[in-house]
Amino acid sequence: MTTGPTAGAESGGIDRRTLLKTVGGSALAIALAGCTELLEGEQESLENADVPDEPIESGLQTFTEGAPAVLGVQARYGAETAVRRINENGGIAGRNMNLDVVEEGGAHLTNYQQFVDEGKDVTFGPISSSGHAEMVPEIEAQEVINVSTDGTVTTLYEEDFPDVTYSFRFQNHDVMEALAAVMQAVEVLGADSIDTYAGINPGYAFGQDEMDLFSKGIEQVAGAEELHSGFPDLGTDDMSTHITEINSEQPDIVFSSCWGGDATLLLEQGHANGMFDSIELLVGPVLYGSANDMSEDLVDGPIYSGSRNFYWGEPSTDRWSPAADLVDEVQSEYGVVPTAHFMSGYGAVTAWATAAEKAVQLLGRWPEQDELATVLENHGFFTPAGYHTMGADHQGYSNAHFGELTWSDEYDAAALADVNVFSAESVSPPPGEVSADWIGNW
Amino acid sequence: MSRFLVERDGETRVRLSEGMELTKSRTILAAVGLVVLFLVPDITRFTGLSFTAIHRGILFGLAAVGLNLILRHTELVSFGHAAFFGVGAYGAAVLASYFDVSSGLVLLLGGVVAATTIAVLIGYFVAGYLDIYFALLTLAFNQVLYAFVLQSSYFNSSDGLSVRPDGLNPPTLFGFQWTTSGYDLILYYFTIVVLVVSLLVMWKLVNSPFGRALDAIGQNRTRARFVGIPVEKYVWIAFVISGIYGGLAGGLFALLQLHVSPDPTLYAFVSGEILFMAILGGFGTLVGPVVGGIVLVYLLIQAPFYVEYYNALTGLLLIAVVLFLPEGILGSVPKIGAELARRRRDPGMLREDVATIGTSLRRAATRAATTVRIIVFGVN
Repeated sequence: MTTGPTAGAESGGIDRRTLLKTVGGSALAIALAGCTELLEGEQESLENADVPDEPIESGLQTFTEGAPAVLGVQARYGAETAVRRINENGGIAGRNMNLDVVEEGGAHLTNYQQFVDEGKDVTFGPISSSGHAEMVPEIEAQEVINVSTDGTVTTLYEEDFPDVTYSFRFQNHDVMEALAAVMQAVEVLGADSIDTYAGINPGYAFGQDEMDLFSKGIEQVAGAEELHSGFPDLGTDDMSTHITEINSEQPDIVFSSCWGGDATLLLEQGHANGMFDSIELLVGPVLYGSANDMSEDLVDGPIYSGSRNFYWGEPSTDRWSPAADLVDEVQSEYGVVPTAHFMSGYGAVTAWATAAEKAVQLLGRWPEQDELATVLENHGFFTPAGYHTMGADHQGYSNAHFGELTWSDEYDAAALADVNVFSAESVSPPPGEVSADWIGNW
Repeated sequence: MSRFLVERDGETRVRLSEGMELTKSRTILAAVGLVVLFLVPDITRFTGLSFTAIHRGILFGLAAVGLNLILRHTELVSFGHAAFFGVGAYGAAVLASYFDVSSGLVLLLGGVVAATTIAVLIGYFVAGYLDIYFALLTLAFNQVLYAFVLQSSYFNSSDGLSVRPDGLNPPTLFGFQWTTSGYDLILYYFTIVVLVVSLLVMWKLVNSPFGRALDAIGQNRTRARFVGIPVEKYVWIAFVISGIYGGLAGGLFALLQLHVSPDPTLYAFVSGEILFMAILGGFGTLVGPVVGGIVLVYLLIQAPFYVEYYNALTGLLLIAVVLFLPEGILGSVPKIGAELARRRRDPGMLREDVATIGTSLRRAATRAATTVRIIVFGVN
């Protein structure tokens, strides 16, 4: 399996000239990529642009309480960090940005409507896939851009809403992480050694979508046979029946897209019931999202996790200063290690902010919602995680990360070792193609 | 006296229909209420209030009016009324998602029929029970429905169903496909018409011999049975009517939200909220539950945007209502009005009020000091 290069990795780190050229010399883009010092005194002037004085009002809905807050709070930290960097670096075309955060709970639609009623210029979130699907028609009707932080179900933009204008998504969608899990499993065990697999996934749209894509991928690549597929409720307090089933079937691989409190529960009950003696490998695309909630004994075993589009140690922080700066900033500001969900919030804000400034440069004035939506399509931008693009299908594309779950004494938190980075092209179809068909032609 | 004005108990009353006569002040209040309801879209445009939140509040209020029929008259507490609201909403959603029904009114009718069927079934099983048993049974049926929908792939589990027949646009209303704002407006005015008709029907019902029989059942079942009232049958009928109101509200909610999922419609907490709405607005009145619905829903929707611990707000509000306004917002209006009138006549009472507040505060401070002394020194 090939691993795609991250931006700058080949040259041992991105050089200043390349970065300036790529982002068009925008101070804001550089600041959000985490290299504010690069453009000292070189900012292209936006002073002549016709831009209102008042601050940009934005709203983020995310999980701030309960088990899903493991992910949601990181997304909040990420969005707040991006907004803080924007304002410290002169705002977007001179406009500062305010961010209101609200608990998404089960109120996705109401939250979005309330943000629109309040006159928000842009909205971000949610985490929930089902909430996101519920929101898309409303976003199209209200015509106020929403950049979703997560809500990653593959069918959303491929089948359910293939022709949207105002709805965007920053985070890699499910096919990217399910196929990254397939590639990782093949790399660890070898395609010939994988005969059987099983799955424990949350019982709603996201979990079913991930399991479906993983099954297609692993059957295509290794010809493996499914032995068990269980879908415990989201936020369940017991997975023992599924674990017992796996212990009796003894598949080579278990795939799990469990996240938040469910991810730690799976590891706890898996260890308690000897699941890791019955299987060769557990691959979980979002286990690492709960990194800050894991203890050292939980990460012991053949457990590999994805970290979506961002892992703080990859590329190595001594070679890629934006990631190192970000880790330091987040550690001192919030006392946690930033996970991929941090990047969900950070990247969603960055995608919109850099596109907005690009639109001002193009138009010479602040853009209308439909103009900004057009600029966001095929928009490329940097974050400390590297280079990202927003596809013509409104789906964000970034490198996908996967590595062995281990323990970092330095950060006193779960970490990933031997991280593989898969380029977006290697784990997702090109915009306009349906994932299931694409996997069939692998 | 004209056809519309009658003399009753020494005062002139406005006669709306046979047996429906309102005092002048009530007529004015009702007229003002109606005008305000019709002006809500304009009021929200100029004040920044949330139009959707008020619309949703009215719908939950309508469900609370239905609940109030059994709460106020048969004195039975239902902890499971979200069942009818949810089934009404899902009835509309299933027709839109699986049967491509695009007419909003047909979707609404489907929701009401589904809710009525469920109310007939549940009512049959619970009508013979009293007090805590009735409350727990209704809660249990509600939970069974919730769990069934949550587990069922037909209802798309926790993700719910869309109420957009073509996947993107709302259903048609009165044969037309409206723009987003046009749809919201037409649906709102349709809701107001449904609300007014539902309130008039409820008024007629509770003031009919059937309504009086329900009162008798609420006061004493044994005596009611003794005077020949078929108690279980009447409770069953009242329960079904109450369910129809819930289904109607749920169907309209589906048309408003355009997406139905289990948690906001079928969860037992929603049942608690509907019950709370009736109490908050004043369950001794006809319109009180609607007022309670608007106030509570507005609070639930808006609070997260202003307060971090917004969940505590409803609890505090419930405590405040029970302690200071046991008759609810609307139920307390006459009492508050009378007290204000007394103070207008005798302004000296205001001084007494201030003195009373002062005394209460002094007593509270003394109690607090005593408690602190006990905690610190172990003795008073």
